[in-house]
Amino acid sequence: MNYPVWDLTTYGGGFLIALVAVVHVLVSHFAVGGGLFLITLEKKAYKEDDAGLLDYVKKHSKFFLLVTMVFSGMTGVGIWWTIALLNPAATSSLIHTFVFGWAAEWVFFVAEIVSLFIYFYTFGKMDRKNHIFIGWIYFISAWMSLFLINGIIGYMLTPGAWIENHSFWSGFFNPTFWPSLIFRTGISLTLCGVFGFVTAAFLKNEDLRLKIMRTCAAWVAVPFTLMVGGGWWYFKAIPEPAITIILEKSPQIADYLVLLTWIMPILFIASMLMAIRLPNSFQKVFCFVIVGIALVYFGAFEFIRESGRHPFIIYDHMYANQVYAKDVPEVQKAGFLATAKWTEHNEITDKNLLKAGRDLFKFQCSACHSVDGYLNDIKPLVKKYDNAFGMDAKLNGLGKLNQYMPHFMGTRTERWALANYIVSDLNKINDLNMGNPIVEAKELPITIPPFDKEKDEYVLLAWNNLGMHCISDSDPFWILLPPANDIYAQLVKRGDSPEIITEGVEISYQVQEGFEYPEKQVRFWEFADKLLGADLTPGVGIGGLKVSGVMKLEEDHRAFTAPLVPVVPYPADGSFNPFPIFTITATDKATGKVLMTTKTVVPTSSEMGCKNCHGGGWRVAGVAGFTDETSLDVLAAHDKNSGTNLVEKAQNGEPMLCQSCHADPVLGTKGDPALLNFPAAIHGWHANFMTDLDGMQACVACHPSRPDGPTQCFRSHHSEFMDCTNCHGTMEDHSLSLLKKELEAGKKGAARLMENLQARAVDSVADINPRTPWINEPDCLNCHEEFEMGSTTDAFNTWTEGAEGLYRNRHDQMEAMMCEACHGSTHAVYPATLNKFGANRDSIQPLQYQGNDRPIGNDCTVCHTVQPEFEGHHPNSLRL
Amino acid sequence: MNPAALIPAPDAISVPWGWFYVLLMLTFLLHILVMNAMLGGGIIALISSLRGGEQNTLLSKELSYKWPYTIAFAVNMGVAPLLFVQVLYGQFIYTSSVLMAVWWFSIFGLLILAYYGAYIYDFKFESLGSSRIFMLGFSIIILLYIGFLFTNNMTLMVQPEKWQAYFNNQDGTLLNLSDPSLFPRYLHFVVGSVAVAGLFFALVGHFRFTKSSVDPEALIAKGMTYFTYATAIQILIGFWFLLALPKKIMMVFMGGSSYGTILLLLGLVLGFVALYTGYKKQVIMASIITLVTIIAMIFMRDLVRIAYLEPYFQLSDLVVEPEYSPLIFFLVTFAIGLALIGYMIKLAFGCRKEVSK
Repeated sequence: MNYPVWDLTTYGGGFLIALVAVVHVLVSHFAVGGGLFLITLEKKAYKEDDAGLLDYVKKHSKFFLLVTMVFSGMTGVGIWWTIALLNPAATSSLIHTFVFGWAAEWVFFVAEIVSLFIYFYTFGKMDRKNHIFIGWIYFISAWMSLFLINGIIGYMLTPGAWIENHSFWSGFFNPTFWPSLIFRTGISLTLCGVFGFVTAAFLKNEDLRLKIMRTCAAWVAVPFTLMVGGGWWYFKAIPEPAITIILEKSPQIADYLVLLTWIMPILFIASMLMAIRLPNSFQKVFCFVIVGIALVYFGAFEFIRESGRHPFIIYDHMYANQVYAKDVPEVQKAGFLATAKWTEHNEITDKNLLKAGRDLFKFQCSACHSVDGYLNDIKPLVKKYDNAFGMDAKLNGLGKLNQYMPHFMGTRTERWALANYIVSDLNKINDLNMGNPIVEAKELPITIPPFDKEKDEYVLLAWNNLGMHCISDSDPFWILLPPANDIYAQLVKRGDSPEIITEGVEISYQVQEGFEYPEKQVRFWEFADKLLGADLTPGVGIGGLKVSGVMKLEEDHRAFTAPLVPVVPYPADGSFNPFPIFTITATDKATGKVLMTTKTVVPTSSEMGCKNCHGGGWRVAGVAGFTDETSLDVLAAHDKNSGTNLVEKAQNGEPMLCQSCHADPVLGTKGDPALLNFPAAIHGWHANFMTDLDGMQACVACHPSRPDGPTQCFRSHHSEFMDCTNCHGTMEDHSLSLLKKELEAGKKGAARLMENLQARAVDSVADINPRTPWINEPDCLNCHEEFEMGSTTDAFNTWTEGAEGLYRNRHDQMEAMMCEACHGSTHAVYPATLNKFGANRDSIQPLQYQGNDRPIGNDCTVCHTVQPEFEGHHPNSLRL
Repeated sequence: MNPAALIPAPDAISVPWGWFYVLLMLTFLLHILVMNAMLGGGIIALISSLRGGEQNTLLSKELSYKWPYTIAFAVNMGVAPLLFVQVLYGQFIYTSSVLMAVWWFSIFGLLILAYYGAYIYDFKFESLGSSRIFMLGFSIIILLYIGFLFTNNMTLMVQPEKWQAYFNNQDGTLLNLSDPSLFPRYLHFVVGSVAVAGLFFALVGHFRFTKSSVDPEALIAKGMTYFTYATAIQILIGFWFLLALPKKIMMVFMGGSSYGTILLLLGLVLGFVALYTGYKKQVIMASIITLVTIIAMIFMRDLVRIAYLEPYFQLSDLVVEPEYSPLIFFLVTFAIGLALIGYMIKLAFGCRKEVSK
């Protein structure tokens, strides 16, 4: 943000530095060890009076001069050159912190060049002792270069006490200084053998060649132990969290670690092979193969070391994108572009949104990500984001649960600009509706069943208990909710003192035409045995019921129920309709006479927005359902973040129910007791990606309740002045209430998910009341004190004590009528006119029995043939 | 946009800026001397090869022995001033480098090619025959190109008002071609290098450091001729350069600052004295005068930089977070390094005599 950024796109993402650095480190380490190799062999030649060997040493020194001084020296300067262009802020920091270290290194560089020139040009002309002395100066100078640069490179990964005291020496002699020095010295000596093979392979004298090949093999073998030992110590010396990033968290490093463990023994074995008498033609080729192996080996090591620094370039001091760690709080507050020097878009408007986003990409992302390039190409990584909301959520979550990448740095508006740039300009998607089309309301025809107030003796009330049941039809991969809706009914015999009828009658339910065969619409029954361990006949739900049948009496509630009816929101015509109508009929068992018929909507939706972030789009009618792509990406993300192998399992035909590991009271699964319960896990995880959102933006990203969507789960009159968050809290508050309970239960994962969440409705996390999902829920009486008109719209943070206190389970004060019988389903309490499939669809019974869409009993004479005088059901029921 | 708003915040330095300033001036002097011998030497060898004739060919051959050293040390001696200039003016030079990143990045790759070209020219001098002129030309073109980029960067870094061009070109392909002082400044360095390299050849002849069978006296004569002509041209280019500078900066040397004016007069007088000594073929005298002139020129160059940056930055603005022990460590290392190098050179020359015996 301090410096301009070279806009590299294809060659971005560190490609240039990788290119220069990998070749440089190989040759430069060879240069360090080479001095010792030369003088040792020179001495040996003198001692054994071996003219052939001496001649070899001289030739090798010419090769050495050309390779090390020209190539190594120049590419070394090249690294400096390159980092100054790619990351000037970090370069400046390293230069200023270690200027006299660099300056001292320069002195050794001069000494190295002078000594190497003299060594080469006076070979055979200088007194032997002096010549060897010059060789020693060369070796020591070169090794001192390593000594100095090793301190500075080590500092970048493990600055140690420097972070606190800013002392040159603390940074230089950092925690990995010594192990790294030993490792690098080992590798330097090993490489002498490796490069020795190259010059030896071209010797004509076979005996001499074999002798030198063996010497070189020994030069690989002996320091190899130093290298392996130093390397092991080095890994051990890397502190947390860097070592965890290297070993577990980095998506890139894993492959390099595997490569490293394979290539190291290969290098050793290949080198030992050279000690055997082999055909010269083979040696001439194979010596270069060994150099290639060494290059891959060293490249992999350097890549791992560099990646271990993520998300920093200088650990705990400067991020890879040139932002000082100390500046981040100010940047978050004031804005990245607002405080950046090299942008023309300090302020973001609608007009410059994409340009500002592009600048943010350049400043914050391009240091590590190329565009259509060779290294860390951004395009495949963001391909799945077809909308700015999902991209924004991803950016929001960066650096929170996985520290491999830095946090997004800047304001919410800036993050939004970056998300829009990525989706519009990189993914070339320009869909203002973000793949979620605006669904206009329509009136599907319904017939209100007849009710004759004068003649009819019975009132039949029926409802669905949740107001909306979601299903995840991602069956071949995983599910979190099977098709399973609960229908309730209560039959009232009208009279002066109305009576609830529970005996001698049969209550049946019948789905509307078009919805009779759910098994033809979803693949749930193909995988039910794997998902739930239940071998279900197609069309039969997990409660043993089909979409039409007979309800059972549930004595506690004095109601009839049809639990877990497997209805799906897909009529046979291939459209999406989350509000199928069921006909409920009460019949006298003895006479077979129909006592009363009514209808109720049984809402069920697959408009679950996983695809908003996981990609893949909608499967059905462009508005709902899971595609394979979405389902797989969810699993891939879980595998990546939690080390599972769910993708592999799914591909082997073994999809899983999420709640089989993550316990869930609503499904009654116990799960793995060490893991978070399902609602806590899924909300807690995703909350980290959806903080600071307005209203119910976060809720509707996943739940079927977006205002312009097809389902609009929350459709009662409450939705005209409230949204999800009034009762359930914001995404953060809601998640924290669930996570706190898990934290108290000693679940390991809770703290991690809570770390980056701030309470919003209350002052602090401490003020949030923990709760068990599905049991401790907001209560209607939080606002409607004493059943009066609500005086507040804030129902968050006061929870029902147990399941019996839930609205869907409660009765009136006579323990007679269930709340929902008269007031309608949760989320769709009467009057509920905001149903996109028809304004009356949720109000059939009030319309049937009293001719309006108010709660049942709005006119007491629906049941009471004589107007009652006492408020028997609940206070204020007569509005006296 | 206010150009000053684009200047990055500098990092703190560990000892007062004067230390770095002295080191910068000292190491830049070393660099410029060796660089001149390298570039000018190549140019003289190329001209000699084109002109042909025995002594001219032998001069080219003499260069072939010396050229790899000069490239090695020109780069090596360039490292230190580049380090110290980054310490003092990092916020300027990093920025201008990024603006011309593509060109700047190309430098070290091409330099490797030029370097290998020089080695081929050296090791294969005879076997290449007449085609060696192409090898020589190849490396010289690269070196001239690199010099041109350096002139671009050194002028771009001191003119933040030109940096806004970045907003129309972020690919790193900017240059400072519109600057009227760019070409005279560049030529001032190139022609200067020919003059110094002429002296270099003359010194090689004078001290009999020849390795080829070139006649040392002929070498001195040729070297001093190149020196004299180049110096004459150099004086004219110097005026062009001076007049091409923005008036405010030009005036620093024409009465605006007594220090600057004295430096210019000194340089001018010394230039003419150098011409005279060149004409008289007084190798040692010409060398001493030239050395003093170069030192004066380096200080003038620095004054130009200070004058350009005057609206934005002064070295005394740099924040010092004192830590002296690394400086002491460096100075000790430097002293040991110098002693070792001195000793090694003594050994090398000793053996040279031995061999010549």
